[in-house]
Amino acid sequence: MNNSIAIAKKELNIYFATPIAYVMFTLFVVIGSYFFLRLLGAYEQASLMYMRFNAGEMANRLNFQDAIFRNLFGNLGVILIFIVPFLTMRLVAEEKRQKTIELLYTTPVTPGQIVWGKYLAALAILACALLLTVTYPLLVQIVAKDANGVEWRSVGLGYLGLFLMGAAFMSIGLFISSLTESQVVAALITFVALLMTWIIGWAGADAEGWVREFVTYLASVSHLDSFSKGTLDLKDVVYFLSIIILGLFATNRAVEAHRWS
Amino acid sequence: MIEVSHLVKSYRDLKAVNDVTFKVEKGEILGFLGPNGAGKTTTMRMLTGVLPPTSGSVKVAGFDVFEKAMEVKKRIGYLPETPPLYTDMTVRAYLRFVAEIKGVGRKVRESEVDRVAVKTNSDKFIQRVIGNLSKGQRQRVGLAQALLGDPEVLILDEPTVGLDPAQIIEVRELIKSLAGKHTIVLSTHILPEVVATCQRVLMIAQGRIVADDTLAGLQKAHAGAATADGHMGPTPSLEEIFLKLTSI
Repeated sequence: MNNSIAIAKKELNIYFATPIAYVMFTLFVVIGSYFFLRLLGAYEQASLMYMRFNAGEMANRLNFQDAIFRNLFGNLGVILIFIVPFLTMRLVAEEKRQKTIELLYTTPVTPGQIVWGKYLAALAILACALLLTVTYPLLVQIVAKDANGVEWRSVGLGYLGLFLMGAAFMSIGLFISSLTESQVVAALITFVALLMTWIIGWAGADAEGWVREFVTYLASVSHLDSFSKGTLDLKDVVYFLSIIILGLFATNRAVEAHRWS
Repeated sequence: MIEVSHLVKSYRDLKAVNDVTFKVEKGEILGFLGPNGAGKTTTMRMLTGVLPPTSGSVKVAGFDVFEKAMEVKKRIGYLPETPPLYTDMTVRAYLRFVAEIKGVGRKVRESEVDRVAVKTNSDKFIQRVIGNLSKGQRQRVGLAQALLGDPEVLILDEPTVGLDPAQIIEVRELIKSLAGKHTIVLSTHILPEVVATCQRVLMIAQGRIVADDTLAGLQKAHAGAATADGHMGPTPSLEEIFLKLTSI
């Protein structure tokens, strides 16, 4: 465990010594803020309209969670598909290219500790990125003031969903990074893989019966939506956890196998 | 301390290392000589456990490099052909990280980092980012990394590459000062280096050992024919022996 933490600290040191983490955080927040402002504007318009037509019933139904945060979390999830590949691409590929992996192989560190250390660092970066976006619900809470403000329980679940999905993406990215020496190739393949987990859901819309259910289950964004609605369903947790475990296991094998090639 | 027996590494039809057997005693400095592409680096990578051999075995301090990998790794310091440096880190952060994964205790870590930095003359640029260092400076940081934790066995793959003459002398002195306590295998194709630092010479050509002797022993074995009145012939230089043995 100590070795994993040492490796995680080293990874974070490099993330923050190079521009990559800052650039990705900036992109995440800039695009996230754009979506947030759009959603906030739409909310404002809807509430004005209901007031004008005296539609009290409709106005009561309008809440921040459904109108803003559910969509916002969905959007943030899609942005993760674009930024995660750039955060994971260097994790193993760079060590192979720079031959620093030989250092790890000749010190008393197991492949498992290498993989776990790198993954911990990736999770820390993910947590930082998500923390930056907590500004949105905080802003809404400050402006709304009254008791019907932000439902923090639902928002919290939304963040849990985003974190789990990001963690699953990181695990896929880490695995792909361990297969190549080229960071560009790692980023590209990771991007395509993550994109597939999103767009495969579209195929579900045309299908019927068990095919539809199966394809919908495969799509990452549908599982995220279940969290964003403010529900906690075991099947969504299982979905993300199984991707994480599979990815880490495969990375471990790839790191071990690299020596035998 | 190091026992290598019938080591073979083949890549398809090419035998990079072919049936290499040798022993290094505790405290000895072994000079590993050979032309480029002779299999020096491949052998050293197998000694450290980075590369698995096709057949044969390597034992360090009595532990098999593959069966008891962890025990071996605790006892070995390795400077690979390319120093394994994280170019985005500062020298100090890098050495601290290596000390940590080598299991140097938290309390002594800082002083251990300072010790190896002073020993390799890296202390003057310890706060700088590795990516901005010169080749010689990087080489010294690589050497410092190998010395961390004071390992019993040091495997150094061309430790003086990229250094200027003054630094080469410094590193040679450093290596000599480590003899006795540490067992050192040092590869090079710079012959004066072997003469200056090593007690024993192992020569390798095309994956095979062509000589394994002390320098004096080699010179004796390859001396010119004795003259009629019983005097020894002219003593050959290491260079001559090297050229003779490796030009197959």
